[in-house]
Formats: sequence, structure tokens, C-alpha cells
Amino acid sequence: MLSRRSFLTSAAVSLCLPAMGRASEEGLRLAFIPQENPDKLLGDIQAISTWLSEAIGVPVSGFVTFDHAAAVEALRNGDADISFMGALPFVLAEAEIGAVPLLSEVYRGAPSYSGRIFVRRDSGIKTLADLKGRDIAFADPISESGYLYPMDLFVQDGLVASVDQADRFFGNKFFAGGYQQAMQAMASGLVDAAGASQYADLLLTPAQQSEVTWIAESEQIPSHVVIARSGLDADVQARFVAAMLSLNTPENQHLLGYLYGPDGYVTANVSDYDGVRETAKRYGFLK
Amino acid sequence: MNRFLTVLAMTLVPAMAGATAIEQAPWAPAAAAYRLTVFLGNLTPVPWSKIEESWEAPVAGASVAQSALSRLTPSQQTAVRAALTSGNRQTVFAAATTVIYQKTLDGLAAAAATLGTAEAAGNVARAQAQFRAFEDGIKAADPAGYRTLGRAWLVLNSAVGTKGVLGTGALEADAERFAAARATIETYLTVNYAPAEFAERRTLSPIPEAAILDGRVVDLPASLPPGSNIAHQAELPRLILQFEEAGIDEVDLPLVAYGDMLFDSPQIFGGPARDLGFACSTCHNRSDVNRDFFIPGLSHRAGGMDVDGAFFNPLFNDRTDDHLDTPSLRGIRFTGPYGRDGREASLRRFTRNVIVTEFAGKEPSPFQLDALVAYMRAFDFLPNPQIDRTGVLTDIASESAMRGEVLFNTPFDGLNGLACASCHTPDRNFRDGQTYDIGTAEPAFEGGTPTSFETPTLRNINFSAPYMHDGSLPTLASVVTWFNDSKSLELDAEQRADLTAYLEAVGDGVEPYHVFEGKESAFRLAFDELTTFASTLNTLLPARDAVNIAILVDTVAPDLAADAGTMTNLAARPEVYRMAETLRAVGDAVESGDWDRAQTYWDSFQRMQAEFDARMF
Repeated sequence: MLSRRSFLTSAAVSLCLPAMGRASEEGLRLAFIPQENPDKLLGDIQAISTWLSEAIGVPVSGFVTFDHAAAVEALRNGDADISFMGALPFVLAEAEIGAVPLLSEVYRGAPSYSGRIFVRRDSGIKTLADLKGRDIAFADPISESGYLYPMDLFVQDGLVASVDQADRFFGNKFFAGGYQQAMQAMASGLVDAAGASQYADLLLTPAQQSEVTWIAESEQIPSHVVIARSGLDADVQARFVAAMLSLNTPENQHLLGYLYGPDGYVTANVSDYDGVRETAKRYGFLK
Repeated sequence: MNRFLTVLAMTLVPAMAGATAIEQAPWAPAAAAYRLTVFLGNLTPVPWSKIEESWEAPVAGASVAQSALSRLTPSQQTAVRAALTSGNRQTVFAAATTVIYQKTLDGLAAAAATLGTAEAAGNVARAQAQFRAFEDGIKAADPAGYRTLGRAWLVLNSAVGTKGVLGTGALEADAERFAAARATIETYLTVNYAPAEFAERRTLSPIPEAAILDGRVVDLPASLPPGSNIAHQAELPRLILQFEEAGIDEVDLPLVAYGDMLFDSPQIFGGPARDLGFACSTCHNRSDVNRDFFIPGLSHRAGGMDVDGAFFNPLFNDRTDDHLDTPSLRGIRFTGPYGRDGREASLRRFTRNVIVTEFAGKEPSPFQLDALVAYMRAFDFLPNPQIDRTGVLTDIASESAMRGEVLFNTPFDGLNGLACASCHTPDRNFRDGQTYDIGTAEPAFEGGTPTSFETPTLRNINFSAPYMHDGSLPTLASVVTWFNDSKSLELDAEQRADLTAYLEAVGDGVEPYHVFEGKESAFRLAFDELTTFASTLNTLLPARDAVNIAILVDTVAPDLAADAGTMTNLAARPEVYRMAETLRAVGDAVESGDWDRAQTYWDSFQRMQAEFDARMF
């Protein structure tokens, strides 16, 4: 199962933007990225916050941000202590505001995944070079698996000199607004290819899934990460991490369903993101 | 195999596709109300109160729990309310369509006004969420227009740009491209969804006005309204087939295996049921009940629906909104007569009734009915160590249940001197094969004769709530209370609790739900079932039975491919697709009369199955 977060940022949702007070000393505030069902997310946040409060011994509350960027802003302003985040926005938040990685999500046994270039099986497109002059949809410009890494495949193959030269290679390059939208655009024939997470084809209908394939795959990308703002109390941070790791136990696993449904969590290391930092630098996201 | 297996990984799928039932992504509230209006407005008689509810109250299947009306402007609210009071389908359709048109344009205008800010993308998404209500109509009627609009939405999403993260990775908005794409969408929608007057529609649909006016024939795929759930069931009932428990492999029982396939096949139904992927197992999941099944307008509550309404087979429409609770089929060979009203003594005749009259299928062949009945007759009850072979409680039952057993066998004046056990006869699987009017239904006219209903078995009823023919009572305790009150049994609270404990003891069963662990995945179960179905080709190919081979291939090949998305071992998906294509090739060869080639493909399929087997989880 894939993380729903990135592609959901643009799903048709009405955002709930509660008044965000500054993180107070008596509590831990979590920032959540919106998903397709805002009411369910609010219920999930309530459930997991209640559990975390008991597990950590401090009041925990959560709120939904507009998107990744707003979550980073909340961390910077002290409106949030902890946030759920993609690897690319994390390294940007790390560089700008000193955010630290705490936990990585595990999907299908690994705390990493890849980006792929998908095409319709009947398109006759076999290689990246075949996409010259053709149309492609990516998910979102600030997305590691939905843009940066799939795009990098074209650069590595020497087809595109740099990202800002991409328009010379493709007929049209679109940002569809999310994995699902990019994949639908490809599967329904609006574009020739889609760049998205390796699991994004699972967002298509079962019939569509059997009609698409992928022609290139990126290196592994660290999976989505739970990050803390700079200066968060070390003891609270440690207790939060311990509680989150206890979600891996059989008796607590059902609670993962309240947190975007990963298979579990592992401790994140700063060095896990070296590759993302390096790629982000090459593409001008980081200095 | 159960079709819900295809949806385990699906949460954001936009529509129904092919014959495989999938779960819909949540709808914007107004779009949900529009889709419900179109669906309900095509029922006969029109359920006006339900259409009103679709606008006045939050609906299942919407992305937020707010009523559609609460999200409209005052003038839109007035227009919709006025239309709803008109009692005219066309008027309501026009008002609902206008609202969606306006909200789409409003979203685009808001996006244009916020271009260059973080809000712009959200406004485009909100506009597109409204547009979604029209999308299948445009796609079916005007593929070129659908493509133009689809690309325009891509341009809009791309042209809004992004503010990046703390300014990093920002992309400038492209106002010019945005304006052009917006104009494309607005022009199309204005022509097709905001005409001065809508042409009269015999059937309500989101088909664009231009297609209605030029009279073109549009093959609009059947769809269910928001809030429908035909695919997902929280817990998968455990299926107990007699022969399997006795150690006989279904592969060695080709008639049963073929019946099993037909039970899972939409191909035996007609009309919308087939197109939506309905099969017997959609409701009677793994011999038991899909308790989560629900279709707005057809179901009063989850776990059943009105099976003789306007939607599935208009010819069979009794014009009465009479929800029926789906009965479990466990132990069905003992539980005749069939149908809640016991209309058929014969399981075979009742099965034919379901296929032809309820779901508009073609007349099944004798072979097909033989196969279906052979399969269903193998459904056994879940074992229940709390009762013995004569239906008497065993030592492990609770004391409360034991006291309840005495009450169950006690005659009551309110039951005309009979006991509960008189009809729910313990040594006849707690039923008696008769129908009774116990006061659960009203006659169709004053002084008329009410419908009687058959005595249902009490075995394994712990897993088939709600209760009564219409599912009107949620728990066994509420059933006891209903009898106590309506039949003046005068049981005190403790006695009612004892009687309930007795029902729960009789209604129990061992391991009621399927548990998946490790490589015993949901896909593995589906794979084993689908390959078992395919094994009937060993009988059908030598018999040169082209008709049944076509049904088999049309059922199994798409299901196999569709289920691949639920694999734990996603890397093996291409192998499943190869198997599905090979099975399809068997069907194509049979259709062209090339039986040798068909056999070659079938041999190839079996080799693949053996080779890939260990990776199929």
C-alpha cells in the first residue's frame, strides 16, 4: 500500500483549517496533510491523538494543514511540533528551519520506494527515448516520486539536459495535481506517460491496472517521514518515537489505520536522506 | 471468489469499470446530491423523499458530512428547494444540473482570482470535483470533447504554479494558459449544462445537452450513486463446503466448480447488474451475507435491498419500496421453501427466478442450473459445538442459555398455545418449512391479506444481523423484545436475556470469518478459486461446449487480471496478466472454432499455473 499523502494534497477535499495556536508547553501538536476524506481524517486524528496522549503522558492534539508547505510553515512558526512529510519537503524543511527526521514509514517491508514512468501497454512505447515529443503528466512539482526522481531518469539517460530543458524533449509536460490524476490522465489516453510512485497504478481501476505498465524505475527514495521542529524537547521527542514504534506490535497495529495506513515505522536517520539532498541540489531545490 | 477482493488497495477510484465492482472515491456534497438525484429520479415510482434527503441531509459517499444545500448560495438553495417541491423530474434535473454547472464555474473563477497563491490549486480541485458529476456522460457521448476537457483540466492544474516550500521550488502561475483552458471548459459546460431550456429527458443522465438534441445513441455505462457499497465487506465469511471438509478437491467435481464460477459470474445476469459486476456472491458472499451491501434508493439499510424495483429489471418492478434482508445461504439444502415469502419450494426454480426476473438475465440452461444448485447444496452451516445433532444445547452452553432453552420450548398463549420451538424446530435446523403471517407486514390494501414469510433457520444467525424479512430489527435481543411485546409473552428482563442467550448459543458458529496470514493472502484465495473455475475447461473443452466456455472466460480472465492489484507480491503481477491473457486466448480460439489451438493455450495456462504457483500471494 502506498502512502496516500502526496496525491491527496490535490484531491477534491474541503480543507479544515482550525485556528492554530502556538504549540504550548503542556501539549504536543501534530500537523497532518489532508486526504480524500476530511471527515475520516478528523476522526483518525482524534483517535490517534487520544492514544498518543496516553502513551506519551502529555496532551497530544492534531490539525490538518493545507499542504506540505503549510505544514513546514507551521513547524517554523511553532504552531506544530511534529508533522508527517514527504522526503523532498523534509530536506527543504531541514535546510530552512532545521527540522529533524524521527520516523520513516514502512510499506511492503521497506522504508523506501521508487518513482516510475508508466505507459499504456498498447501504446508501443518501450523506452524513455520513445517519449520524445510526447505528452507526460507528473503528480506535483514538489514531489520526489511524482516528479523529481522520475524526471531524473530522463536526465540520467541523457535525453534531457536539465529539468528546465524538459519542455524541449516532451510535447507537453503537465502537473496533474496528484499521483491518481497523473495516472488517470495516462490510462485514459489524455497523455502518453505518467511519472508517479511505484504504487500509483494501484490507484487505477483494476481493469486499467492490467492495461498499463512501466518502462523505467528510479533509485529507491526514502519513504514518507515523521519530522520534528527544531528545538522540540528531547524527552518528549523520545517518548513520541517510542510510542510510534510500539505501533509495530501486533496489539497496536490496528492504530496504523489512523495514520495513513503504513505497515509500520522505523527510526529515521539523517543520513537516509543524503540521496534526496543530493538530488534536490542538482535540481536547484537546495543550495 | 468474492469481488470485494479487487478493492482492498483501492480508495480513490473514480467510477465503475468493466464488470469488476470497485469502491468510489468520496464525492463533493453537491456532486453527490446531483448523482443521487439522477439515479433516484430514474426509479419508478420516483422516491421524492429520498431525493429531498439527498440535498437536505449529509449523504454517505460525500467527502464531508454536510448537506449539499448547506454548501449552496441562498439563491441556489431557493432554486433547488422550489424544484424539489414541484414533483417534476425534469424540473429537479434542470435545477440540480444548473447548480453543478455554477459551482464548477465558481471554482474556476475562484482559482483565477487566487492565481499565484497556494489557494489556486485547491480551487481548481474544487471545480474539478463538481465537474466529475458530468464526466461519465461526456466520456460516453462525446469522446473528443472528453479529451479536450481532460487536457484543459491538466493545463489548469499545471498553470496554477506552486509557491514551493518556504519559497523553494516555486513555479510561476501561467495566467494566459490558465485563462485559455478555463474558457475551453466554461464554453463546453455552458452549451451542454446551462441551456436556456433543457430538452425533455426520458432518462435522467449527465449526458451533454448537445448529444440529447442530436439524438445520438449513447452507451452510458451503468453506475451506482454515491454511498453505494457493493464491493467491500469488512470481514470475509468463512465458506464451508461439505465436500472440501470431507477431503474432496473441488477440481475433481467439475459440475460444482462450474456452479461456483457461475455463482461468481456477472455474465449470467443482464442489464445493469451484469455491467456493474453483480454476481450471486455480491450479496450472498461466500454462502453467507454481505452485511455491508448498500445502494441508496434500493436499500433501507445495509445487508439487503428491494429486489423487485425499477433499477435491475423494470419488467419485474412491483412499484413497491419493499426492502428485503439478504438471507444467508448456509445449509440451504435444508432451508426451503425459498424467497423470504417462501414462494418457491424448489431451489432450482428460485435460482432461475433470481437470474431471470430479479436481475434480467437470459434463461439459464439446464446445465447451468444443475451446476449452480450442485454448488449451493454443498454450503454447510458453521459447526456449532453448543448444539447437538437434534438441536439440543450441549453441556458447554451457558446456564442462561439453558434457561432460555426451556422458555424456547414453552407454549405461550400469545403464540396461540405454541412455543418458539414449534416453528423454529430444533431437530429440523430450527425451521419448519412453513410460511406464517406473524404481523411483520401490512396488507397492500385495507382488509387485504398480508404477505406471509417463511420460518428462517436460527443456525449461525449470530453472523447475519439484522433480522426479520426486512432487516428491521438490529439484534437478537431486539427480536426477543419484539416477540415479547407484540405477542404478549410477558417475559421479564431476566427471561428475555435468557432467551437471547439461547438464540446466541444456537446461532453461534466456529471461526465465522476467514483469517488471512502470511502467504494465505486474499489474492491467494482468489487465485485458487479462479484457477479451480478454469479447471472446468478439462471437461468443457472435450465436450466442445462453446457457450459455457465463453461464460467461463468472460468471468475468470478479467477477474484474474483485476485481482492482481491486490497481490502482496506485486512483482508477480505481470505473470497473472499473462495467465489472464492466455485464458482469454482459449476463449478466442473456441470462438473461432479452433479447438486444437484452444487446447494448446489451455495446456500453456496450466503450465504457467504450476510454474508461478509459489509466487501467487
